[in-house]
Amino acid sequence: MHWDKLALEDVSMTFNPDRPGEYRALAHTTFSVARGEFYCLLGPSGCGKSTVLNLLAGFVAPASGMIRMGARRITGAGTDRVVVFQDAANALFPWLRAHENVEFGLAIQGMPRSEAARRAQHYLDLVGLSAHAQKFPYELSGGMKQRCQLARALVLEPEVLLMDEPFAALDAISKRIMQQELVRIWQQFHITIVYITHDVGEAVLLAQKVAVMRRGPASCVKDEFAIDLPYPRKPTDGTVTATYAKVEASLQEEVGVSLYAA
Amino acid sequence: MPPRVARLLHQAAMAALSIALAVLAWAAFAQYFAFPDLVPSPWSTFETGAQMLSSGALAAHVGVSLQRVLVGYAAGCAIGIAIGALMGRIPIVRQLADPVLQLMRPISPVALVPLSIIWFGIGDMSRYFIIFYGVVIIMIMNTAAGVASTPNIRLNAARCLGARPLQIFRRVIIPSAVPYILTGMRVALGFAFMGIVAAEMIAAQSGIGYLIMQSRMLLRTDIMFVGLVTLGVLGALIDTCFRLAIDRTMKRFMEHQVNV
Repeated sequence: MHWDKLALEDVSMTFNPDRPGEYRALAHTTFSVARGEFYCLLGPSGCGKSTVLNLLAGFVAPASGMIRMGARRITGAGTDRVVVFQDAANALFPWLRAHENVEFGLAIQGMPRSEAARRAQHYLDLVGLSAHAQKFPYELSGGMKQRCQLARALVLEPEVLLMDEPFAALDAISKRIMQQELVRIWQQFHITIVYITHDVGEAVLLAQKVAVMRRGPASCVKDEFAIDLPYPRKPTDGTVTATYAKVEASLQEEVGVSLYAA
Repeated sequence: MPPRVARLLHQAAMAALSIALAVLAWAAFAQYFAFPDLVPSPWSTFETGAQMLSSGALAAHVGVSLQRVLVGYAAGCAIGIAIGALMGRIPIVRQLADPVLQLMRPISPVALVPLSIIWFGIGDMSRYFIIFYGVVIIMIMNTAAGVASTPNIRLNAARCLGARPLQIFRRVIIPSAVPYILTGMRVALGFAFMGIVAAEMIAAQSGIGYLIMQSRMLLRTDIMFVGLVTLGVLGALIDTCFRLAIDRTMKRFMEHQVNV
């Protein structure tokens, strides 16, 4: 199906409407992600980033407004938009080996076992996990769990990868390695990525476009920064640090307290 | 000696010692504190037991009881898991069924023995019912808790991988609930053994419960003790087999499930 952009149009979202604990997470949020783009959503914690991702995934429906992929309105989850979750331990199926986790999406389509295994193998190779294909998730390190989630998503050849702080729980070095791998995969597959993070450095290293969200409640996208720099980007590169400063300044206004108070 | 063998030997030695001490305490009590007719010594109990074993009488009673347990237990597990699964996933079913269950839970199967005889007569049906009742309530509770506890993230993951509701139920929710279901099945097995004795004490012509009740009429405490020891040994043996079977076949579901 042809589509040019994935968009939230004037979307509002309220939890527990008309009840105690009512919370307006999003108010009139509008933004769009071009096909093939690496798009980062950045914001202080509690600003509704994950709500946006759940809306894009089709896990929840907006109170008002519309989510669209090209001309088609998104009303539910689908294999064209696969999510990579931060909490890999819960997102992976703990009773399935790594390769069985990757085969899951194929198996439920009714694909013959041997064909599913062959395809899973291909994507396990691609994310560098073939040596650990027989392990159960609890036997995998944090980075390997995320590789497994990536393979499980990619094997379905989705159009969009929705990533919810996927590397936030990793140590600094694994995180850098996974970021590089992700950029490589994104370039190889020309896939669209919506990536949620609260880490300015990560956003600037990865994204073609960074959207900064307001702090909650009633959050929305406040600023967008296009970053037209080649990959791989070095954190110490002058243009990268200059962009970092611009994005940081925008986020700083939303954090409320000064991060630089002496 | 490999450490694994050493550990097993240590465990076996401690188990043997534990049982030996219990038998010794029993023997001392029988010898010095109680009337021999009230508390038979371990040796006379084992002698009676050996006779009953060789005559085949004990095996017959055990066989009958086991068959009754099996029928009631299997039916209770199957129906309990089915109802529990519905309760755990469908809010309206849970809201309607839960209050009734809370009222039924304190009613012990033993309290239902007279009623079940009126309902089902003195045949095996009434005994199946008593065991079934004890088992089904535990299985409903445990299955419902397990099915309701599937992490939301896991459900969402399955959803975006293309799973339909029934596929999610079979491939994600049920496997996630396996630890709860199997734990329930182990607890329910114990209840089934308690239920069978109660069920066989009234209006039965065979089974371990009958054996124990009958020996009261004959003032044969040694036979009564044979019945009690048999119950203990049988229950522990079956539970061990159950645990080993779980370890061998269900390990991937039992271990490292988050939130269990």
